[in-house]
Amino acid sequence: MKLKLALLLVAIMLITSVMAGCSSGQPAASETTTEGEQSANVEKVTIGAILPLTGGAAATGVKLRAAMEVAQEIINGEYADLANVPLAKEAGLPNLGNAKLEIIFADHQGNPEMAKSEAERLIEQGVVGLVGAYQSSATKPASQSAEQYGIPFVAGSSSSAALTERGLNYFVRIAPNDDIETAMFFDYLIHLNEKYNAGIKTVAVAYIDNEFGVHAKEMVEKWVKEKYGALGFELVGVVPYAVDVTNVDTEVQQIKSLNADAIFHASYIADITMFVNKYKEFNVNPKAVLNYCGGFQDTQFVINLGNDGDYFAGGAAFSADKLADMPELAVINEMYKAKTGADLDGPALEEFASVMVLAEAINIAGSLDGDAIMDVIKKTEFKAPYFATGAIKFDSKGQNEILASYVVQTQNKEYRAVYPVDIATVEPVVPIPEWSKR
Amino acid sequence: MVRNKKILLIIIAILALIPIITKSKAVLNAVILLLIFATLGEAWNLITGFAGQTSFGHAAFFGIGAYTSAVLYYRYGITPWIGLILGGIIAAAVAAIMSYPCFKLKGHYFAVATLAVAEIIKQIFVSWKYVEGATGISIPIIPRSSDFIKRLFYLQFNEKTPWVYICLVMFTAVIILCSYLENSKMGYYLKAIRESHEVAESIGINPTNYKLYTMLISAFISAICGSIYAQYILYIDPFMMFSLDVSMKIVLLTVLGGVGNVFGPIIGASIFIPLSEFTRIKLGGSGTGVDLMIYGLLIILITCYQPKGVIGIVQKLAERSKKANIGGEGKIEATSGN
Repeated sequence: MKLKLALLLVAIMLITSVMAGCSSGQPAASETTTEGEQSANVEKVTIGAILPLTGGAAATGVKLRAAMEVAQEIINGEYADLANVPLAKEAGLPNLGNAKLEIIFADHQGNPEMAKSEAERLIEQGVVGLVGAYQSSATKPASQSAEQYGIPFVAGSSSSAALTERGLNYFVRIAPNDDIETAMFFDYLIHLNEKYNAGIKTVAVAYIDNEFGVHAKEMVEKWVKEKYGALGFELVGVVPYAVDVTNVDTEVQQIKSLNADAIFHASYIADITMFVNKYKEFNVNPKAVLNYCGGFQDTQFVINLGNDGDYFAGGAAFSADKLADMPELAVINEMYKAKTGADLDGPALEEFASVMVLAEAINIAGSLDGDAIMDVIKKTEFKAPYFATGAIKFDSKGQNEILASYVVQTQNKEYRAVYPVDIATVEPVVPIPEWSKR
Repeated sequence: MVRNKKILLIIIAILALIPIITKSKAVLNAVILLLIFATLGEAWNLITGFAGQTSFGHAAFFGIGAYTSAVLYYRYGITPWIGLILGGIIAAAVAAIMSYPCFKLKGHYFAVATLAVAEIIKQIFVSWKYVEGATGISIPIIPRSSDFIKRLFYLQFNEKTPWVYICLVMFTAVIILCSYLENSKMGYYLKAIRESHEVAESIGINPTNYKLYTMLISAFISAICGSIYAQYILYIDPFMMFSLDVSMKIVLLTVLGGVGNVFGPIIGASIFIPLSEFTRIKLGGSGTGVDLMIYGLLIILITCYQPKGVIGIVQKLAERSKKANIGGEGKIEATSGN
């Protein structure tokens, strides 16, 4: 009898464990290539993309996957109209015998533990580099694993400043971090005060109570203390809200009582939509609202809110009004739109860029060796005509030192570039018109 | 004394053989997580299954253990082995402070109180700069060329196999301890307290003291699991360590396997963890959420048709087999009588 019990337990464990392992599968074609053969006759080069394809950020994850697929199509196809975009003119990776780029997508569900598991599984499958993982809390353990195995990790849109403060050798990030973005926001407010006499002095922060939000809030505190406090800015209050918030009445009333000239928001799409609706309901009228890379940058923001979403601002690497000046970006946007039905947004463009950078580095290295690829990533200034600043270059910590984003403001349901002046396409609207006068 | 020694030996032998049979990182990752969560389930089972105090806040002890070893290593370079023990002691101390007033509450009030305590501890860690607040701690990685001794000292391995064996040793020690407790005088006292607080008191058992001892042991074990988990994942933040998800995962897998039985958590974890990994690996990349649907459906089916957990199915099968054997023996006797 006891033996039967034991056998049943054995069966349960074996079946489930083997099932878990069976799909970890055979190594990808790239892994079967020995080091000696690496630079020649590779049929395909496989990279891994870890994204939140299910869970709370699934809608964003699916969009980011589409952006990465556009990058893959451009690399593997021949696009004469994208001649300025590296790897677009010729099919595949020319220095590796025109090998095709394959992306294996994995879902981390917004869970750091799963992000690590998926990173290791992809590494085992033979990927030569990793991209992703959107949420900084997932990017951290995934890139720690990549570091342990010597696999390059190019993060596109993860914005936590801590990511590039870990001293990792195999990690770089394209998006500006919260630290850089906060300084940009204050510089924008100075610009509004100087040029438009906006009279903005007091600032409040509304933030989601997670790694993203708390870190953004800390950056505001840091910059006010270190620099912008001396320039006349005052942080009058911070208002956190729960990750699973369903009603923000209390928070909005708190914000109203602070009566700040400008509000900095670190929010995702569902929360920022709720906040804007409540700002209207409670007649909250700040002179400016600035959003960290998150919900505001999702084009769903203007779809959800229509004209009520007008005059909000934030950092973004993309705005549709730049398309006329940037023909390559227009083509990329059309390809993306064909897949998703929507224009690109900042995080999507940054994730697109992460695939382009990794593929170009592999091509320049002419090798699948992690160290050789990383060496190229660290030393090269990558041409990026799809960014307003036109290039990507990483500093010694792995942060892209050429600011990929600028300030956009929603005007008549469109994201318009408003700052810096050399990138701006329209004048900013400041102060934001009161709700009663719209 | 460990009942069903054979079963325990077979389970340990199988788990020990897996790294020899396969080097697949996905399989070994599932085994490591399975062992960590099975051990956590054992810890939870002590206080809930045996003592009858439902805790929804075990993530607090898990997180305290993780943070103690991670902070000691991150700030002072102290080996996680010391952090692991210290984490256990701190978690036990926190459990004592938390439990004393909470044990005055009964039934679901106690469960709600533990939930609230875990949430309070989470908020403390979110705003505590010394432990890096919401940013979390990325555990510094030792150089890739480090030898095995150094890797063992800092609990960082490039291979999964050492992790499997470390987790297996931890699990074995804990299941032996739980098995011993279950069949000890204290185990019987706890069962008496679980069945009727008043009756236990009337026969001279001090329920508060015994529940407190159990809680301390449970918190200590949970904290050790947390330390191991932090070193394995190499990153922790308050949202992942103190989340309700972690507490619920511990509850769910133990309930799935069978509450109040030392084999319940390992059975639950053996189904829960690999199933979660398998469905995600196989279907997760599609972004359709089919993996979560299948996973959820299986949990619903098991809980609907076998509320006692999988151990209930095992026990039914065992009883059926026992009856069949008795029937068979009777037949032989009858035949021989003729």
